[in-house]
Amino acid sequence: MILEAQHIDKYFFQPQKHQVLKDVSLIIEEGELVSIYGESGSGKSTLLYVLSTLDTNFEGDLKIKDKDITLITSPELSDFRNKHIGFVYQFHHLLPDFNVLQNVMLPAMKLSQISKEEIKEEALSLLNEVGMKAFATRSSYKLSGGQQQRVAIARALINNPSLIVADEPTGNLDQKNSEVIFELLKEITERRNKSVVIATHNSKIYQSSHRSIEMIDGVLRL
Amino acid sequence: MSKQVFNKTNIFIAFQYLSARMKQSFLAMIGVMLGVTTFIVMINFMTGVNDFLDDAVFNGSPDIIINASAKKELENISRRTTNLLLDVTKIDNILKGDKNVQSYAHQIISPAILISDAKQFPGSINGVFPAQERNMVDLERRLIKGEGFKSLLEENSILLGVSLAKRLQVEVGDQIEMILPNGKNAALRVAGIFSFGITTIDNVRTYVSAAKLQNLLDQKNGITNVHIKLKDRDDVSLKSYLTENIDGIETEDWKDSNKTIVIGNKVRDILTWSVSLALLLVAGFGIYNILNSTVIQKRKDIAVLKTIGYSSNDVVFIFLVQSIIIGVLGAVFGGLFGYIISYLISTTPLDTSDFIIVDTYPINFKMSYYFLGLSFGILTTVFAGYFPSKKASQVDPVTIIRGI
Repeated sequence: MILEAQHIDKYFFQPQKHQVLKDVSLIIEEGELVSIYGESGSGKSTLLYVLSTLDTNFEGDLKIKDKDITLITSPELSDFRNKHIGFVYQFHHLLPDFNVLQNVMLPAMKLSQISKEEIKEEALSLLNEVGMKAFATRSSYKLSGGQQQRVAIARALINNPSLIVADEPTGNLDQKNSEVIFELLKEITERRNKSVVIATHNSKIYQSSHRSIEMIDGVLRL
Repeated sequence: MSKQVFNKTNIFIAFQYLSARMKQSFLAMIGVMLGVTTFIVMINFMTGVNDFLDDAVFNGSPDIIINASAKKELENISRRTTNLLLDVTKIDNILKGDKNVQSYAHQIISPAILISDAKQFPGSINGVFPAQERNMVDLERRLIKGEGFKSLLEENSILLGVSLAKRLQVEVGDQIEMILPNGKNAALRVAGIFSFGITTIDNVRTYVSAAKLQNLLDQKNGITNVHIKLKDRDDVSLKSYLTENIDGIETEDWKDSNKTIVIGNKVRDILTWSVSLALLLVAGFGIYNILNSTVIQKRKDIAVLKTIGYSSNDVVFIFLVQSIIIGVLGAVFGGLFGYIISYLISTTPLDTSDFIIVDTYPINFKMSYYFLGLSFGILTTVFAGYFPSKKASQVDPVTIIRGI
């Protein structure tokens, strides 16, 4: 078991008090690819931010790798996220002032468990796996959307995290690219036996996930 | 288990951001540089002028002067043709007992007309005791030609201020004649020519031996002035103590005698500090502005850095390092340019005015001012960089990622 969420409630207070997540409980096993689908505003992105430790303002229990997230202080949480969680966003979010290779290296440089040379090797091998090795020294903002998402997948994997969190990873891509990127994500994480949570609109994605859960008005329909 | 924020990775990221905005960073650095340069040039120049005046005026004149007062003059109206004399035994006793007195000297001062082969001019004749006066005035340093006080052991010697010597058209070794108010005259040999750099002194002051002048004035052992040098010049309490305890004397301290210079020094100090600090402040605002707009532009990046594991402290450090780099470079170049400009000023010839005699602009190259200017420059930038950095660290990644 990688992740265990119990009875999670979350409220928004702007513009008025509104319960976004209602008694959400979810368990994700090792190597499992889970997708959460639902309409815009159903709360699936919000749930993703909670599960990925970015949003700590909630009620309930959350354990990742048997660690109780609600008890960890902010700087330690940064380190935890760095080591155990990889992110892929809807809008690629590569850093434009860094080149492709540097973007992939940044999380590992923060972790700094291995030398910079080793990090570079690891990053290049990941870029190779996502088919972007030839672009390693390019500026990241010059790439197409699909290319950027490939780089983002490599970045999410560099620290060998337990959990990959993807928020609408194909939301910004055309149908063909969407499929390619999703297949890549699925294949690369299956090969490494990683757990993945995806929030998505895309029916192709939730149909080919190991498990897919619908979210309606803040409630998970298991 | 939060790791140290001071690490290669954070510095690498900071440099990456700096070089991505090379032009802006460079301009911010120029701002700091100008601030520090101006600070250093101004403070070098202003304190140079202050020190020069201090040295010329204060060291050329005693800290406290005692002479006989006019009251006594009225009582002893019969003695008006001669000088007003001091009863020095009482004064000496007080001075010997005072801890703040570094040294003191007796003098007999009289006006006289000095006549050379070519011209005649009035002068102020200071009859001094060389052994005492040596502790009061460092004449050796101010000598242009000839010898100092030791030549006054020779009874017929006289030392002249440089402007007076020029007017009289005499050189060391020439003979001049001195006519005193009582009609007596004496032939003297010019033994030395000195310059205090202040025209009002160099125009009239002369030194002869006290014994010689006392003889000529028929005032054996007569003393008209006592000059005092203090250990702590700012403590002039001795002055009022003397006036209260001894009748018939007038006292004057260096502040009374040099009011305009004391005020001038103060004004220059205020000017230097206010202008320099204002400039550094402007430079600080420049950095604040640049970093602030960077933080606003880079909110997305900061959010990403945070999601991939960079903590708030890392983000503060990454942005603070940028302003520190700008500050240090600006300060160092500012120090360098400050030195170069100060040096150029110090070699610029100065047209001598009537008051001051000096060849080039006086500059004070004291190390501590460079240290001060550099630390001020760096401090300002760190301070200016801190607030935008703090702001950057407070970026909430959820809001940013959701918002796009």
